[in-house]
Amino acid sequence: MDNMIEVKNLTKRYAGCTAVDDVSFEVKKGEIVGFLGPNGAGKSTTLRILSCYLPASGGAAKVAGFDVFRHSLEVRRRIGYLPESTPLYPEMRVDEYLSYRAALKGVGGQRRRQRVNEVKELCGLTDVGRRIVGQLSKGYRQRVGMADALVHDPELVILDEPTIGLDPNQIRHVRDVIKNLAARHTVLLSTHILPEVEMTCQRVLIINRGKIVASDTPDKLRTRLQGGREIVAEMRGAKNNVAQELYKLPGVTRVTTEAEDGWTRFRMECGAEDVRPLVFEAAARSGWTLRELRQEKQSLEDIFVALTRVEQEVK
Amino acid sequence: MSAFFTLWRREIAAYFLSPIAYVMMMFFLVIMGFSFWLLANVLAQGVAGVSIMRELFDSFFFWITTLTLVPVLTMRLFAEEKRSGTIETLMTAPVSDAAVVLAKYFGALSFYMMIWAPTILYVVVLRAFSPLAAPPDLGPIAASYLGTLLIGAFYLAIGLMCSAMTRNQIVAAIVCFALLCVLFFGGFIAFIARVDTVREIANYFCSLAHMRDFVRGVVDTRPVVFYLSGAALMLFLAIKLVEARKWK
Repeated sequence: MDNMIEVKNLTKRYAGCTAVDDVSFEVKKGEIVGFLGPNGAGKSTTLRILSCYLPASGGAAKVAGFDVFRHSLEVRRRIGYLPESTPLYPEMRVDEYLSYRAALKGVGGQRRRQRVNEVKELCGLTDVGRRIVGQLSKGYRQRVGMADALVHDPELVILDEPTIGLDPNQIRHVRDVIKNLAARHTVLLSTHILPEVEMTCQRVLIINRGKIVASDTPDKLRTRLQGGREIVAEMRGAKNNVAQELYKLPGVTRVTTEAEDGWTRFRMECGAEDVRPLVFEAAARSGWTLRELRQEKQSLEDIFVALTRVEQEVK
Repeated sequence: MSAFFTLWRREIAAYFLSPIAYVMMMFFLVIMGFSFWLLANVLAQGVAGVSIMRELFDSFFFWITTLTLVPVLTMRLFAEEKRSGTIETLMTAPVSDAAVVLAKYFGALSFYMMIWAPTILYVVVLRAFSPLAAPPDLGPIAASYLGTLLIGAFYLAIGLMCSAMTRNQIVAAIVCFALLCVLFFGGFIAFIARVDTVREIANYFCSLAHMRDFVRGVVDTRPVVFYLSGAALMLFLAIKLVEARKWK
């Protein structure tokens, strides 16, 4: 059994609206998968169904081979879930809270203290064990929530917007923690921040209006959507000659030029083949001065906008 | 089972981690202490025909504290978890809905018993220094505490059910207080109804009449069954209310 999560035709209807609409996807063991979508796309609802908090209206979801509705307790034993708002008991101390949560999740005796210390170290909470949760900063509270999700060493970690409301340093720390989880856990995290997915996830599921609109690695998504590459070269030379030479390169379909302080920027749209070495050779051969040569990366952000906008126009 | 005890321990700890426990304990002890002081004064004057247990367990003070104490003790049980969102982490932990409800219930009941525990001193004092020829017997004392426990068991279950209905603690407290008043004052029909059948029916749920039996040392099985089955019904409803999020 390779799949940690299997979701088939999952649908969730609230009174008057469909939050999740016939969604199917799989997450393999050991993967870090990012669940990406604009606000209100159905991310949290899907995660809540997977964590057995809400039942689905239709379809099926399995975690580690157990149905989330029929074998809810088995599923809950295997997941660590951090809800979006990081709910904690503000009046408890960090150690107390983690120890209570560990006990609740069936971590007993000697192992409990050991696990609490381990997750505290992992999440950078070693110095605040005696502090009262309610007096901690937002960043530390988020870490306590993460530590809670990890304390029983779950097979699957589900994090709903783990970096929301944090400052850049805290975000970096949370991302490092998530990356470190990859070795031992499967991770499904939701976010509406794109760089986060590019940095932490091996695979992206883009969801919009309750439907999965794309699922792939960030790199593949980029090339697939772009349909080709865009190469930018800044050179000095006779403009028309250079353009003509560039058209001769294999796969180049279009060349546009812009002038900038005596240099010319050539943008080439080309096929799957990387023509950058050929551009360099052509420049060397013809004696053009080459200042810059790069492949324009379409950011995941563009893909995201493209995907979600197309969807909206269809509607 | 171990999850139940973990939850139960946290529920009791939660009372002591918030000011509620101390405020309620003080409120309770001030009123009960005043009641005891009045009783001691009456006894000192040597007034004949005073029922000591009745003055302690069936007085105006007893009922006013019970009716106000219960909503305050139970209002936060579910409402606070819903408001703060911790219900989500709680219900996604590997514990059954029933274990959560029962742990909260027994947590509240345990705290209720802790609040009552210091009053045992009053009884000890009365037994040691009673000017009357016959100090209060152990039988009526035990029956009075049993009655207090049974009434608490049912009333707290009502409060728990109210808390499971809403995410607002104030609403939970007010609904609970209203239900308790209906139940308590509705029982007065047992004293005023002209028709015998109505009076007999009202006798089944009249807490005041039940307590008058308990303070005399009479443990009738009818009120025992009434309070226990009432508590069970309320707990069942509370479990269903917690599950209700899954029906939406």
